[in-house]
Amino acid sequence: MKRVKWGWIWRRVGWTMLALCLLAAVCLAQNPTYQQDATWHAPADAASRPNPLSTKPQTAAGGRKLFIRNCVECHGKDGTGIETKHSADLQLPVVQQQSDGVFFWKITNGNTGRGMPSFSKMPELQRWQIVLYIRTLKQP
Amino acid sequence: MLTSKFVHPFLIIVLFLATRGFAQESPFFVTYNHHMEEPGNLDIEVSTTNDIPKSGQRFYIAPYTEFEYGVTAQWTTEFYLEGQSTWADSTVFTGWRVENRYKPLKREHWINPVLYLEYENLNEASRIQKEEEGEAPDVSSPNALLTSEAVHELETKLILSSDYHDWNIAENFLMTKNFAEREGYEFGYSFGVARPLGTLASGADCRFCRENFIAGVEIYGGLGSTLGFGLHDTARYIAPVLSWAVSENSTLRFSPGFGLSQQSSPVLLRFGYTYEVQNFGSKISKLFGRKQ
Repeated sequence: MKRVKWGWIWRRVGWTMLALCLLAAVCLAQNPTYQQDATWHAPADAASRPNPLSTKPQTAAGGRKLFIRNCVECHGKDGTGIETKHSADLQLPVVQQQSDGVFFWKITNGNTGRGMPSFSKMPELQRWQIVLYIRTLKQP
Repeated sequence: MLTSKFVHPFLIIVLFLATRGFAQESPFFVTYNHHMEEPGNLDIEVSTTNDIPKSGQRFYIAPYTEFEYGVTAQWTTEFYLEGQSTWADSTVFTGWRVENRYKPLKREHWINPVLYLEYENLNEASRIQKEEEGEAPDVSSPNALLTSEAVHELETKLILSSDYHDWNIAENFLMTKNFAEREGYEFGYSFGVARPLGTLASGADCRFCRENFIAGVEIYGGLGSTLGFGLHDTARYIAPVLSWAVSENSTLRFSPGFGLSQQSSPVLLRFGYTYEVQNFGSKISKLFGRKQ
């Protein structure tokens, strides 16, 4: 009886798995169309949270640094968004009308289906610093 | 020759693509948490596991290179190449691994599960000890013997992770099946806790600010197999961990692991350097002519 070559079979399974991952990575990493997500709403209790740094406006400088490091790639240096990234213009009144709590919730949770990652790995105060900085981006 | 042909153009591409980013990586070497790689970003990591052996055993270093890519915000894929060098024995290539992590829940929850699937095409000389499962690895036999024994392993993990204030608490439960040997299903675990040393970012760019450091501890070990479940003959470690975001794209990590059982090495020293390439996916698309 012919002996089954399990080593050979598993090597092929592994290579196939690797090839599929690379192929899927190329296909899925692209986000060719974007529409605003009407379902991306913060719960009421999260939306009503006040910014604990609102009395310390000087901490917005740290928020600017964090914004440049983490957000500029998609939202642009001035926060107006990058068209090809389909990212939000943070200066728009419709965006700025949202509460601090909503910003914090959106930064924390992200919108993974639309390419906005979660930044929950950042300490809470740093996320609030970013919120503080986003407020300075308001249109004059 | 082949290496230089491949490596030099690759390094040039990486340096060319490098842009501003901030690589605040998880400090853990073994435990995974629910923080996925950001979509389109590529992390290139070079790490080593170094063993301070018991008397009669030989010192080894086990370097590995890891390529971690964020396919989507919920899916991260990784590819590893690994080797090993044992004092007064030899230096050998020990194989490759491909792993995938998928976070099924879109929002942050009290406990965030992540599903993990990995295929390993290794040999028994593998020493990187990215996880501990089953019984303790064989560190006494010569490489010539160990490299002839193939390992074709499928590994699954359930990763549970929580962020409580600024603490990250992660628990991993793993099960592996080596299809090249009749070892049954092997089990293992790891737990980790970590916290940034500074939670408020300073306005100035700084290298040694507390906010650039994350410290923690992880505990990991094997739990035997379906042929003999339990802590008997397993390796177990407790390991403080420290990561330092040394620049905007790179992170250094260090962890001394202390053996907690007879089968463990007395000390496992782990070092890691991670370089993050932001928007790697879209830059590669651009290179091939896709309009941005």
